[in-house]
Parts: sequence; structure tokens; C-alpha cells
Amino acid sequence: MDIDVRPRKKRRFFVDDPEDVADPQVSTSSVTATSRPASATSSTREQRSSQTEVHDIQPLPSPAFDADTFRTVIGEDVGQDVVNQIQAAAHGDIERAINIYFDGSWKKSASAASSAQRPPPSKGVDKWLATSEGSSSASIAPEQRNDAGTVPTRARVHSMPNERYVGSFGVAAWMTKSGANLLAHGEAVRIERSKIAPRTKLGRGGKLVPIVGRNQKADVITRFTNSRGEELGRLPEETAAWVSSLVDQKICRFEGTCVYAPDRVRVNDTVYLQVRAYFLKTAFEASAFVKSKDDNRATGFFEEKENSEEKDLRLRQVALIKLFEEVNLNPTSTNETTAKHKKQGLLRAAEMAEQYDKEKDSKGKSGVSTPNSEEEEEGEELEEDQLDALYQKARSFDFDTPEAEPVSTFALDLRKYQKQALHWMLAKERDETSSKQQSMHPLWEEYVWPTKDANDVSLPTVEGQDKFYVNLYSGEIGLEFPVQEQNCLGGILADEMGLGKTIEIYSLIHSNRSDIDLQAAGKPVASVNHLPRLPQSSTSVEPAPCTTLVVAPMSLLAQWESEAVKCSNPGTLRTMVYYGSEKTANLQVLCSAANAASAPNVIITSYGTVLSEFGQVTAAGGDRGSNGGLFSVEFHRVILDEAHTIKNRQAKTSKACYELKAKHRWVLTGTPIVNRLEDLFSLVRFLKVEPWSNFSYWKTFITVPFESKEIARALNVVQTVLEPLVLRRTKDMKTPEGEALVPLPPKSIVVEEVELSKTEREVYDLIFTRAKRAFNESVQAGTLLKSYTTIFAQILRLRQSCCHPVLTRNKDLVADEEDAAVAAAADANGFADDMDLQDLIDRFTQDTNLAGKDQAAEKDPITTFTTHALRQIQDESGGECPLCYEEPMLNPAVTTCWHSACKDCLERLISHQTDKGEVPRCFSCRETINPRDVFEVVKHNSPSASFDTEGDMYSADGAASKPPKISLRRIHPYSPTASTSAKIAALLKHLSALPRGAKSVVFSQFTAFLDLIAPQLSKHGFQHLRFDGTMSQKVRAQVIRAFNADNASDPKAPRILLLSLRAGGVGLNLTAANHCYMMDPWWSFAVEAQAIDRVHRMGQTQDVEVVRFVTKDSIEGRMLRVQERKMAVAGSLGVGQSGAGGTEEERRKRRVEELEMLLG
Amino acid sequence: MALPKRIIKETERLMAEPVPGISAVPHEDNLRYFDVSIHGPSQSPYEGGIFKLELFLPEDYPMTPPKIRFLTKIYHPNIDKLGRICLDVLKSNWSPALQIRTILLSIQALLGAPNPDDPLANDVAQRWKEDQEAAIQTAREWTKTHAMT
Repeated sequence: MDIDVRPRKKRRFFVDDPEDVADPQVSTSSVTATSRPASATSSTREQRSSQTEVHDIQPLPSPAFDADTFRTVIGEDVGQDVVNQIQAAAHGDIERAINIYFDGSWKKSASAASSAQRPPPSKGVDKWLATSEGSSSASIAPEQRNDAGTVPTRARVHSMPNERYVGSFGVAAWMTKSGANLLAHGEAVRIERSKIAPRTKLGRGGKLVPIVGRNQKADVITRFTNSRGEELGRLPEETAAWVSSLVDQKICRFEGTCVYAPDRVRVNDTVYLQVRAYFLKTAFEASAFVKSKDDNRATGFFEEKENSEEKDLRLRQVALIKLFEEVNLNPTSTNETTAKHKKQGLLRAAEMAEQYDKEKDSKGKSGVSTPNSEEEEEGEELEEDQLDALYQKARSFDFDTPEAEPVSTFALDLRKYQKQALHWMLAKERDETSSKQQSMHPLWEEYVWPTKDANDVSLPTVEGQDKFYVNLYSGEIGLEFPVQEQNCLGGILADEMGLGKTIEIYSLIHSNRSDIDLQAAGKPVASVNHLPRLPQSSTSVEPAPCTTLVVAPMSLLAQWESEAVKCSNPGTLRTMVYYGSEKTANLQVLCSAANAASAPNVIITSYGTVLSEFGQVTAAGGDRGSNGGLFSVEFHRVILDEAHTIKNRQAKTSKACYELKAKHRWVLTGTPIVNRLEDLFSLVRFLKVEPWSNFSYWKTFITVPFESKEIARALNVVQTVLEPLVLRRTKDMKTPEGEALVPLPPKSIVVEEVELSKTEREVYDLIFTRAKRAFNESVQAGTLLKSYTTIFAQILRLRQSCCHPVLTRNKDLVADEEDAAVAAAADANGFADDMDLQDLIDRFTQDTNLAGKDQAAEKDPITTFTTHALRQIQDESGGECPLCYEEPMLNPAVTTCWHSACKDCLERLISHQTDKGEVPRCFSCRETINPRDVFEVVKHNSPSASFDTEGDMYSADGAASKPPKISLRRIHPYSPTASTSAKIAALLKHLSALPRGAKSVVFSQFTAFLDLIAPQLSKHGFQHLRFDGTMSQKVRAQVIRAFNADNASDPKAPRILLLSLRAGGVGLNLTAANHCYMMDPWWSFAVEAQAIDRVHRMGQTQDVEVVRFVTKDSIEGRMLRVQERKMAVAGSLGVGQSGAGGTEEERRKRRVEELEMLLG
Repeated sequence: MALPKRIIKETERLMAEPVPGISAVPHEDNLRYFDVSIHGPSQSPYEGGIFKLELFLPEDYPMTPPKIRFLTKIYHPNIDKLGRICLDVLKSNWSPALQIRTILLSIQALLGAPNPDDPLANDVAQRWKEDQEAAIQTAREWTKTHAMT
């Protein structure tokens, strides 16, 4: 044989399976052991070690049998009769024939059938053949769960022999005894597990190695003994690891035959055994029991042991895979989707779990975790973008999907996307056709019982049992064809909050009633003498064909009930809240088919109720029926609202929900995955989606790849899981026509022109002239593009001066003036920018008192007047304005001679006088007035005092207890930043006019402008928040939370949010506000529109008012025209912003044009 | 153009509490235009005469003073032939805190105390300084002729 074709199977010394004989190396090496030089053996060993990774290379097709070739290969001239015999045994396969010849099995073939490898004759073939096979499948036992098809029936198992051969494999075992003639070729050995757990083990070098750091469960020692039961040696650890599991879990029995042993053996010598494996009947019988271990299908009432069971399962999985690999038994039928990575995946999952266990042990924890702890969650958290990617698939919602009209009993009109949801849900619920096809359950594999053993001896067959089935994910073995369960007749409705999931579900409840329900609806309620036969309250689970169970957080029960009334025509939907004292009814009786005409259509209950009833059923030993509760009936439909409540599969509530029985299962949640992939698993498990609801399967394909950083693959799988299951629409989704799914309340955008004050105007004009000159010069010089940046900077200054002149000024200068203002305030004789009236009165009263003491006769009349005037201001008895006769004064202001008038009147007077070139004088005493020394009177603790629209409402409670704090504030403060500006004044006016509780957002592109607005808001008593790019993510989140908080009743809560256009323009949800102020225009309106959409977006319930402040007769007006032009350009080119499209040339041209529009 | 609150209030008050010897009635078609009559102060050359004046409140009243003019011919050193009045509060010393009532009182006072040192009608002032008796006599006559019909 050609040595080149050797690299085939690892460690396959012996023939074990008909297909495998194709490997020529097998026979050669077995021969080498006896007849060839030692060098050949060692080369084989090398091969072995280098081949360990090659598992699944397909055997080469066998060449046809040719007697001459056969003789050439074996190198002996054998008789024709022998050749014929071998040829027959090898079915004409020459390679197999060669193997058969060399292993000598052909000699025994005649007697093989009665050899020890066969099932004991006491359970003879005839006997179990006699059992009728036909009686099996129909009589499925009552303990069968909803996955009936996967369970082998007792009858069929009964017909099975006690054990059945599955295959054999070779193993190089090692001796633990030395001596001569201990073991001879062909001698049978028993493969046994040691009963006692040794404290020490023999190392390969024959030394006693203490077993340290390994717990009892890691004991895998498997011995082989001679017929007298004396230990001869052990199986190598890698084999023993899985053989021990199969023996321990009573799945297999193994027996060996010595193939080669030296005449004289010493401890640690290698001997070659052929091991034959038999599946025990108990393994098939155990299925029902094994099932209960399977974390998915268990009745679940005794799941405390889950962890050790999971470990057993893991060992079983690995052992079965290894076994099939060793005996080279391949499934004849398997599920395509799972075939690819199945075994390797399972092995890897098991490995990881093992490692995890070890780590745990080393940390000194017990191997058994607390399965019920709600906190304990596994799985790594998902990154934000990964989550996005996940939803991507589910989100690719097709707007052309068909719609379904709800039935006439449903009272509301559905929106288009809601009708689409209804259609989807109906399709999911009616998808029963696919289950009619007898397709194999995706987790199971089909195997054919071998008909010949390794020595090509025909094995006894069992009629009707030529195949067996293995579910490696649950470790189950079965004889019955595992039917694919009906598909999950439900799904995940994951529409975002606010899209009306509740309504959608109610439309489904109305539109897809069970047949029994529909029949009952036609009939009047049965009369007394026609009472339906009510079922006896029994321990079994009764159907409740008319009833949908809704499980929701307690706080939402009332809402579910009221929604039911709202969306149903009267009398068409009977609802019942099953909670607390109301849960006296026996649901088995109430909801039975016989009582269909009056059974509740919807039962609304809380997660807590489900949990507590689950506890009762558990306490009653899994007796579902007797208490007539939620677990005693099979509902038509069960719906979990806010289903992320059960995201932790270990939590008791989750386990309780899994056990609710229903034909249709739905979960509603806006967040199917909160932060772990396992969150989704729990939903899938609740839905009983095969095969994903099997945690072992889930772990294999999702958790393990994800944790071993094959994130893309894991997410890909999750997407495939999600896609058919999930319907998710978000509020951001737009119809193809660009409309929102849910129409938003109207919004109005008003451009408000603001007139600059005189000083502001002067600043503006100055800058404008400069910019214009620079522009004209560069136009003349033809260097417009070169000086673009310079001009652009000047335009920026212009725009800033439209907001507040201080913005345009050198920051150091501003700071100097700020210091001067502080200095002025410190001067005892001077007046600060901001003074407390009470302090001022105290100051003058003190002067008066001093004067009174010294010169009692001549009380300074001026001081007296001052005190009086100030008191008047304080008492609000200033009377009418001497200039406009308004009473009381609007926004009173005082001079330093303490004459008061309206602020506007006083200002007008001063400017009137200065315009005429006169020194301003007091209207009353003709004292000269320093325009700087005019103070406005500001009352505090009322946010709108200065505009006096509704401030009294506050003072009603505030002022009664203590006089309001009044301060005198310089109208034109020395501090440049303390001064207001036309735009700020306009903003304040708007804010003051807002109704109490209304929230506003204020956008500006200049954070420095926000810095100026903020103190003005504070001065006028407006609580506000600030959001800009300098803040950390955490602080930002806090600000948004604080702003969006529902705090209508708290007058102190901030209702104004100052945002920088760039930081706050994107993504935020500010629907708590419905007033939006744009302090300054941006180059393209799209950016502003983005910002406005923070307020005017899904979730906004009120009309939105937007005010865009634009300075009159300024560059801002021209900017609006540039905006319009850009919008037109964007519209015609189909691009978003002007910068995006066109060549460099075109962009330049556009820039120049824009400059001309601005300054030309 | 709506009438400022101040003008309305002033008018109402003039109607409700008229100053003795002075009346001011706005025109119905122009509420800024007043027909004014002032009784000549007793012990003055104008005693017994009723002098008619017109008074107009300009657009930026009270920032600027009212415009006021004698319609009745009067012989007075501070009032010229056209009836224009030389009075500081009507010019540089105007203050928006002043009002129609106070201005008319000032004019009435001016009739009682002519100030030839700050003349508007130079010829009258000249004569008033040179021959006060004769000037006062002429004033009386003018009053009789023009203000007592």
C-alpha cells in the first residue's frame, strides 16, 4: 500500500467500521505491531501525533476487489477459498479485505455471531422482535411535553435489546502490572470504571503522583481487567475521559479484545486493545429522565440541580461526539444549518465551560452556583454599535409589506404600519402548515445502526429499528424519529415605545380568535338547562381556547385593561384582571372550551402573580392542575409585556414564564436585548423557538463565538435568529414618502427680527464697514478667494456682534473692564452694578441716624428723601411714572438722585437729551444724570417679575412670608458681560410670556453667547441647564435626564436648556420641551432643522413653537438668503449640504457668490 | 397712531380738575390739539381779558415740550406779534415731568410778571424798560380791544 495515503485518521489501528477499512494505514499498522520492524511503528506514531487535528477527511472510495492485487498486497499466496471468504466479508472492497485478512477476523467470522460482542441470548432477538412495533408511536405517554416527537416511546424502547453494538475503536492502553503472559492476543478484557476514587494516581513513569487540585468529578480513570476481574492496566487518559462519562452515565458498555501485547509486559508498557462499544437500553429509556435535565424542556419545577446536570450534559455531549468520531459513525441525516460547526462548536463550548469551572474551583467556590440568584448574569455586555448592528437586520422593515384589516369588533383605526404589524402577527400565528411536513428536528441527527461489526460479522437487527437518533445538544439518544416541532407561533414585537404595541396586540387578539371562540361568539350564552359540561378539575392541563393571557408589570395592568375597553366595540371582548384578591376564579373551569361563550378573552396578570403561582405549583410537586391557576390551563395565547423583565434566564420569574402554556407565544419589548446576547436567549426560550431555545445550542453558536471574540459570526447568527422572529420599527423610521410613522404635532417656525440697541448698532456698523472695505478691496484686487478666511473671520465678528457686542471684543479687554466693575462695586461711595435695596436703605438710614445724633436740628433733607424714595421703591408704592403716567411703573428704574420712572421712559429721556447734545438731567430735579448711574429695580423670587405677566402668583405665597428681595441693577453695567443685548432681551421676553411649566430649549452656535445668556436668565429668575461639547458623556446624560424629567409640579425645576448647536444638534431627545429658540442662524438651515428636530420628533405631544432670532438690517438677514439658496441647490442636486457636492471649482464659485450675497 | 396713555390721562385730569382761570379743550378730530384760554391775572395789565391760545402736543411729547402760541393779540415783552412765547420751560428747561397744566400755569404767571430782560418782542421790551407806565397802559388797551370781546 502506498504510504502517501496514510494521513487519514488519528490513532486508528484497527478496523472498526466497514467504511473505515478504506484507510489502508489501519491494516498496515496493525500488522506492524507484530511483524514489521520497530521503526515502522515509530513512524506511525509520528503520523499519529501530527495528524491529531485531521478529523473529518472523507474516506477515499474503495477500489474494486481483485484477487491478484489482494495477494500482492498481503504478500502471501492464500487459497482461493480464503480469498472468496474474505471477499464476501469485505463486500468486494479490497482495502477492507486486506484489513480483514490481517486482523484475522475472517477466521472467526462463522462463530462471531455468538461471541461475547453480541447481545446476551437471554434477551434474544426473537423475543424483542415479537413485540409489536405498531403500538408504539400513537400511545404517547401523558408525561410527554409539548415536544412529543422527540421522545422515544416506551413501547419502542421496550422492543430494544438491552444493549446494541455501535462500533469499535482501537486504543493504545498501558499496563499497570508487569509479568509474563498477562495478556495474549485475542484475549477479551473488561473495561471498567474504578469504584474507589484513588487519592493518588500512577504517573506514566510509574511514580505515585498525588492528586492535587482536582476534584472528585475529574476522576476519569478507566481500567481494563482480565476475565478474573484483575486489573491489568488503564486506558489512556484522553480516551478514558469520555469513556468514563459514557460508562458513568449508563449510556454505553465497553468491552475490549487484546490485539497485541508483548509476551512479557512491564508497567507502563503499551498494549493494543480493540474496544467495542454498545449503547445500553437504559440510555434510551433514560431519555425521559435525561429530558428533565435538558434545560429547555424540563418541567422546570426542580431546577435547583441545574448546574450539576448541565455539567453531566456537557460531559455526555463531549463523550458522544468522541464516541461517534472514534467509531467513525457519521450521521446519515442532519440539519444543514447546524451541521457546519456543530461538533467542534459543542466541544469548544464544553471546553470553555470546563475552564470556567476550574477557575471557579480555584477560587474556592463550590461548583454549584446559585441558580436562582437574580443578579447573576452571564455573558459579556454588548457594545453600543454591536447592538445597533444587531437591530439593523430587524430594522430593515419593508414598507410595502402587506397590511391586514382588523375585524369589525376592533373599534380603533390602525395606522398603516400597525396594520402591517397585524398582518405579520397573523402570519406568524397561522404558520402551522410547515409543521405538517415530517421534517427532522434540527437538533437531532440520524444514525444507522451498524449491521456488521468490526470483524465484519453481521449483527442482529431489530425490525423497524435500523436507525437511532442523537441530539448532541441535549445529550439525548432516541429511537423515535424526532419530528420538528411546530414552529413558534408567535414572535417578538419590538416596536419602539410610543408606536402602539398594545394596540397592535389587541388588534391581533380581536382578529385571530380560536375556532372554538368564534363558534361560541355566534351562540347566546347557554341557558341553565343547557349548561355545558364543565371539566372536572383535574391534575392535567386543560385548554383555554378563548383566552389570551397578558403578563405585564403591575403598574401597567390598569392600562392594559383600559386599552382593551378603548379598542373594542362594547361586549366583544371580555377582560379580567387576575391579580391579588381577584384571582379566586378557577381558570380551568372559567376558561374551558365548554364555557367558551362566557370565558374571559383576555386575562391580565402581573409577573409577580405568575411567580407566586409558579412557587405554589413547585411546592405541590409540579401538580399544575389542582389549584386551577395560570399553570393549569393552556391558553390560546400568552403575551409578555415589557418582556425584558425576563431577560435573565436564571431568574425565577423567567423560569415561571417559560412554563406558561399557550398555543401562541408573544413578547413585547422595546429592548429585546438590553445589554447581553443572553437577554435575547431568554425571550427565545420563552417563545420556544427551535433550535435556539436550547441553551446548549445557543451557547455553541452564539455565546462561545462571541466570547472567543468571533463577534461578527456570533452577531451574524443572532441576526438570523432575530430576523424571522422580530418585528421592530423605530420612531425615526420614515415611510418611503419621507413621512414619520406617527404624524407629529404641528410645528411653527417664526423668524423674529430683533432691533439692535444704539450701542450695539454702533459696534455692528463699525465691524461691517471694516468687513465691507476688506471685501471691496479684495474684489478689486481679485484676491477674494485668497482673503476668504480673513473676510470670513470678519463675517464671524459681524454675526457675533448681532448676538452680543462683547462677543466680538478682545477677551483680555473684557476681562479688564470686568475687574474695573468689581473695583467700582468695592468702592463704598460708588454704586455697584448690582445692589441689594435693603442694604442701600440700611446704608442711608445709618447715615441719617448718625446725622441725627450729631446735629439733631439739621437732618439732611436729601438723605431723608433718599431713604423715603428707596422705601417707596421697596413698598412698590412708587406710583405712576411721571413721564408716561403708567401706574404702576413698567419696569421701574431710578437715578442716583432717586427719582424713578419706567426704565424705558428714563432711557428714552436720556437718549433724547444726549442726542440733542445736552447733558442728561433728571426730569424731576434737573440734576445731571450719568447715564451709567441708572438702575433698574429687579424683584426676585418671581421668574417673570420684570415682565409682570403672572409673577403675582408666586409672590402670593412667597411675598407673604417675607418681603421679596429687591436689587438695583445698573442698566448699563460697567461689567461688559453683565449687560444684556437685544437678542437676550428678546429671548427673555419670550420666555416670560410662556405658560408655567412649559419647557424651552435655546440653541446658539456660540458657547460664549450661552455664557452671556445664562446669567441673564438667572437674574430674571429662570432656572436653566446647560449642554455643550465640553461636558463629559456622563454629565451630558445627567443634564438631559434632569431636563426631560417630569417635574411640572416643581416650580424650582429647570425648564430651560441652553445648548450649543453643534453639540446638541444631533441625536438628543428633548421632547419634554415644546419651545425652541434659535439665537443665531447657521449657514445652512439643515443644521438648524436638525436641532429643531430634537424637540419636534417622535414622542412630542404638543405643538412646537420655534422662534429664530435674526437681527434686523444685518448680515443675519443675508444669511437667511444664503440658506434659502443652499436649500434650493440641495434640492436640485439631491445632496444634503452644499459642501458635499460638486467639484472644488464649483465650491469655490459658490463661496464667492455667497460672500457677494453677504457683503456685496 | 394711538394716543399715548399720558396724553389721555392729562386730558382727563384737565377736564376733571380744571385750573381756575385756565381751560384747555382738545379738538375732537385731533386730540393732540387743544384750544386754550387763560384769564389775565388780577392786578396785571391783562386783568379781565380772556386770552386764547393754541396748544399742540408733538409726536415725541413729553420728550419735547408742547408747542403753544397766543391767538389773541397781546402786548407783552415775552410774546411776539405772532403769539410766540418766550418761556424757559417751553425750551431748554423743559422736562418731561412737566405737563400741560404746569405749562399753562407758567404762562399765566408770565402774564403777571413780564420779563423784559429776556425779550421776544424787542420793541415791546424796549418800551417796557423805557416807559413802563406807558407800556402797561398799552397792554391794558390791547387787552380791552382784543381780549374782552
